[in-house]
Amino acid sequence: MTVELEAPAIDIRSLAKSYGDTLAVNNLSVEIPKGSIFGLLGTNGAGKTTTFKCALGLARATSGQVMFGGYPLAPPMFESISYMPERPALYEWMTGAQHIECARRTFANFDLPRALELANLFSLDLRKRVRTLSKGQQSAMALTLAFATHPNILVLDEPSSGLDPLHQRHVLDLMIDAAAGGATVLFSSHQIGQVERAADRVAILHRGELVLQGVVEDIKAQEKIVEATFDGDAPRFSELDANPNVRRVMRQGRLIRAYIRGAGDGVVAVIQAASPTSVRVLDQNLEDIFLVAVGGN
Amino acid sequence: MPAIFTVDPHTGVPIYLQLIEQVKRSVALGVLAPGERLPTVKQLAIDLTINPNTVARAYRELERDGVIETNVGRGSFVSHNGASARAAGALSLVASSAVDAAVREAKSMGLKRTQVRELFAQALERWYAPDEPKEHKNS
Repeated sequence: MTVELEAPAIDIRSLAKSYGDTLAVNNLSVEIPKGSIFGLLGTNGAGKTTTFKCALGLARATSGQVMFGGYPLAPPMFESISYMPERPALYEWMTGAQHIECARRTFANFDLPRALELANLFSLDLRKRVRTLSKGQQSAMALTLAFATHPNILVLDEPSSGLDPLHQRHVLDLMIDAAAGGATVLFSSHQIGQVERAADRVAILHRGELVLQGVVEDIKAQEKIVEATFDGDAPRFSELDANPNVRRVMRQGRLIRAYIRGAGDGVVAVIQAASPTSVRVLDQNLEDIFLVAVGGN
Repeated sequence: MPAIFTVDPHTGVPIYLQLIEQVKRSVALGVLAPGERLPTVKQLAIDLTINPNTVARAYRELERDGVIETNVGRGSFVSHNGASARAAGALSLVASSAVDAAVREAKSMGLKRTQVRELFAQALERWYAPDEPKEHKNS
């Protein structure tokens, strides 16, 4: 076992941001260890982009702190952090090649052969002006620039939006390759399947509040459904409503479903006592867990 | 080298557990021989498009179970000392939990004991040749 003595690559402490009367992010605390791929999930307007912007000092947090490797963000760190905003920050009138040249002159650690390799991977025509590129190609251009500096920290706001499935897979491969080399990746995505593959940690935001966070594999091992059927209508179980490990209970005719956290033995025993015709414990994938966490339906 | 393992990230079963089971299965069946080198954490993560820390976690547990050994700088190898026997033991656990789940499912559908027995007899009929002994050892 390795002991984590290192400060987290990104440490977000009690972050809050309000725009006028609207609280975009409320008291958010997450630690992102070095070398991890951290997926931020949430419905539109959940506060993902605001979190990124506040973390990187692009928006002023109302309160809270963000530390990088134990220190507040400072100009010398800019070289080693790559940020890809939701809408790529590219100049419409410039070509891909001009963007690469511009980045090469700006960043000391810009790797030109790597940039050309990445552009090729994404099938980009660097002679084209950004204005003429599709949304997906613009994402690819921004990704090319983001990865070509071999950053220690990557903050990617919906990196694969607009990309076809093949190029989406390339984005995951790049993130995995970077993390295997010790870089830290913080990204948001609406494609839960991608987060499920690439991320080792996840946080789910809902209306600015953190509703669930942790190691993806542990969350999957913990979040279960106990499903039971009865001869007649499923009874109500007041014991379940009082149980803090029961996230929610759904009754429909002869069927009852309890969404639980941790070992379901207690819940199974409670239901079993009412002599159901069947009881089973079901696994949940990340999408199921997400939908329960944000209270869909 | 094509990936010798496959995982399904979109199930409720943690990926590292899927990997552990597959490595043990490969070792028990002799697909991976003692002393054989496993892909590096990075290589396997990239081949399967899964998180490197997830692969590292699977390797750590396999090491703890004595199925593989890791030499810093040289990589991970299938253990020589009884790894296949231990892996085979682990596999029989997998088999027993699969049978257990099948019976539980049948019961929850309201099948009677005799009906379940009949289903098992049919399955044995389908998968085992008539003269084949019902228990056989993998070398």
